[in-house]
Amino acid sequence: MIAYDILICGIGGQGAISLGTVLKLAAIHERLEVVGAERRGGAQREGIVTSNVRYRKLEPGETPDERLTAVSGLIPSGGAHMMISMEPLEALRHGRWLNESSVVIANDFPLTPVSVRMGEREYPTLESLRERLGQITPHVHVFPIDELSRRHFKSLRQVNTIALGMASALGPLPVSDESILAVIREQFPDFETNREAFALGKHTALA
Amino acid sequence: MNQLALNEKGRTILAMGNDAIVRGGLEAGLGYFSTYPGTPASEIGEGYLALRKEFPHIHAEFSVNEHVAAHGAQGASWAGVRSMVAMKHVGMNVAAEVLHFAGYTGVRSGLVVVIGSDPGATSSTSEQDDRWYSLHTHLPILEPSTIQEAKDFTALAFELSERYNLPVILNAPSKLCHNIGSLRLGALPDVLPAGGRFERNPNRYINLFGGSVANHRRAMEAVENLRKDVPTLGLNRLLPGSGKIGFISSSVNYPYLLEALFLLGITDAPVLKIGLSFPLNAREIESFAEGLERVYVVEELEGFIEFQAKRLLYDSGLRTPVIGKAVFPAYGELDVDIITGRIADELGVKLPGRMTRANELADRLAGDLPPRQGAFCTGCPHRATLYSIVKATGRDAVFAGDIGCYTLSCLPPFRAFDWVTCMNCGVGIAQGLLQKIEGEDLIAYVGDSTFFHSGIPGLINAVQQNADLVLIILDNKWVAMTGHQPSPTTDTTLDGTRMRPVDIKGLLKSIGVSYVRTIKPFNIKASMAAIKDAIRARGGVRVLIAEEECALQYGRRIAREPGEYEVYYQIDAERCQKCNECYIELGCPAIRREDTADGWRYYIEEASCLRCGACHDLCLNSAILRTEIRRPVGAVKS
Repeated sequence: MIAYDILICGIGGQGAISLGTVLKLAAIHERLEVVGAERRGGAQREGIVTSNVRYRKLEPGETPDERLTAVSGLIPSGGAHMMISMEPLEALRHGRWLNESSVVIANDFPLTPVSVRMGEREYPTLESLRERLGQITPHVHVFPIDELSRRHFKSLRQVNTIALGMASALGPLPVSDESILAVIREQFPDFETNREAFALGKHTALA
Repeated sequence: MNQLALNEKGRTILAMGNDAIVRGGLEAGLGYFSTYPGTPASEIGEGYLALRKEFPHIHAEFSVNEHVAAHGAQGASWAGVRSMVAMKHVGMNVAAEVLHFAGYTGVRSGLVVVIGSDPGATSSTSEQDDRWYSLHTHLPILEPSTIQEAKDFTALAFELSERYNLPVILNAPSKLCHNIGSLRLGALPDVLPAGGRFERNPNRYINLFGGSVANHRRAMEAVENLRKDVPTLGLNRLLPGSGKIGFISSSVNYPYLLEALFLLGITDAPVLKIGLSFPLNAREIESFAEGLERVYVVEELEGFIEFQAKRLLYDSGLRTPVIGKAVFPAYGELDVDIITGRIADELGVKLPGRMTRANELADRLAGDLPPRQGAFCTGCPHRATLYSIVKATGRDAVFAGDIGCYTLSCLPPFRAFDWVTCMNCGVGIAQGLLQKIEGEDLIAYVGDSTFFHSGIPGLINAVQQNADLVLIILDNKWVAMTGHQPSPTTDTTLDGTRMRPVDIKGLLKSIGVSYVRTIKPFNIKASMAAIKDAIRARGGVRVLIAEEECALQYGRRIAREPGEYEVYYQIDAERCQKCNECYIELGCPAIRREDTADGWRYYIEEASCLRCGACHDLCLNSAILRTEIRRPVGAVKS
């Protein structure tokens, strides 16, 4: 049984749900089984949004056994092979789902919670967030994804595609670049820009 | 092409649990659908409305409330058309009166009631377990575990409904409604269902005196007929094992349980998967429990299956201990972690190291992070209205809360909201409270859709009892909180179709409200003055209609790009006194703080600002500048 679980997190409106949808559609494209629940509460309202992406594939010759193949919509604690966080604080908040071999891809641009705005709480420094995540797994990659999108495409619209390129580089994902790009071509306008953004993400992650 | 309309049996698509329910209805030849939107079931209605072109014979509607929606589906079933009504769990309270009779009358064509439940209450004010209703409505309950079962069980529910002459309930928790994954399609019917015809059936439809007693008896007999057949229906399934500890589970908890057993290395436990949680069959439960040391029931919320299983085993004389809510919590959502932990404790098995380490590290490293609370969206008219209310009253009033986006006014920075329970708890509770309190101003909130849902009777009562209150109707033209379904005040849909909105003012006048004013929320100074006037006008019901379309829907309708704005707002750093009115008191997310070479400043993030102008209107230092770019006539927008 090949299993690969990705937890995507972010704030409402950042596109965490559509990022998960691309990764799931890529699985349908490759005839992989995929499942995963979403936390949509607070979408568009500064609320936390998560998407679980759980890939399953029988090994050649393997007979299905429900006790081994049963897969729920939620990744258990310590179960994520990869986390993609569109916001640095949310990466640490969802640290419970990581283990010592999980790969973390996190955007470095902080979105201030109301409690911080009100002066009631403090937003941890990026260094502290990175250090704490590093105690869970050594594979922590923090990138200026917002900044990359702004600089190269003069907009924040490519943030998710850049993150997908990074995920593809740091995986290995059970879905191919070709499938991801095919889905992007079907789902998003302006394929050429998105293809560049995907390549930029890959290149940045491998640099 | 809408993938849910594909007539390709065996094709796998990506679908949400709610999509799967929609598809199940299509495969069963559904002809009528009604709902009142409520998370997590809202997307079912959106699904059918999006399919109007491909399935023009299906009548699909967002009804005014769940009571009306349930009656509508009952009527369509009596016309001989397969019908579905969907609602969230608390909607069942509103539809309960209708559905207590639907078992008595039975169905003519299949009638399926879909209930989206919300364990954990992530988008609700309660997490009530609707399954208990069936002990007195006599309606069978299907509990799918997976996206595939959500479709297959929905289609099957129509057959069961017709075979046993009872409406059938499909209960899906939010973690199934919002689960997205692979779905294998079945065939769509070859022949479209014909239009219906009413057939008189006085014995079933006229529920009076002895007739209702006979129908009560018939409904209970129908349940017993179904109960006998349960083992032949294939809805409940045994996963055999040689272990002496057995598990019974249903719904999304079944895959949670199998994952938990796998993580704990328990490979031999017999597991009975329940697909039909009401009625249960005594023989099936007995033969499972026989010879086992004990049986654990793993179900979310309350012990509905546990209760029935215990009762059936008691009657049969079998004394195998059945343990449910003594171990698995009856409140909150369950997940693999909770189930793994509780089983490990019970059986004295070691928790998997990976899970223990993850939880220990997370508690230590992420225990003190600033929480995220909901907030109004950028450009939301409710934020401006709430700001004006807080400033006009100094929070020195009783604030009667209600259900909708404006419920977020209980959170900082507004905190002007004293209660929320069910729909229309605002005016309803307020008008009783006011009979027994004196000298306090009372401001009640209600949104447009909530008001039409069930608020009119409460308001009529308040008018007749001369309740001294100010009701603010926050009319944003949409059922926004559940994902922007149309409301009775929607005047233009996203595709530009003009609707026939209900005239709230006319309605208010006709029920005897003589004080009605409209405020424009982004006009802060005028709104504050209008609120103060309404409070001072003491005596009887005064209504303010805060009228402004939901910013998200307005944005979607206008579909404006950032470069196309003609108005810009900027904070002049020299004039800004950092008084915090805009940044903290209004709390607009587009107003941000950044460090500068000589300290820090507030600024407006241009890409986020929706140009509502509220900050400009409220700034006491005239530090927020409004710039209008005037283009020559005929100029092309950049």
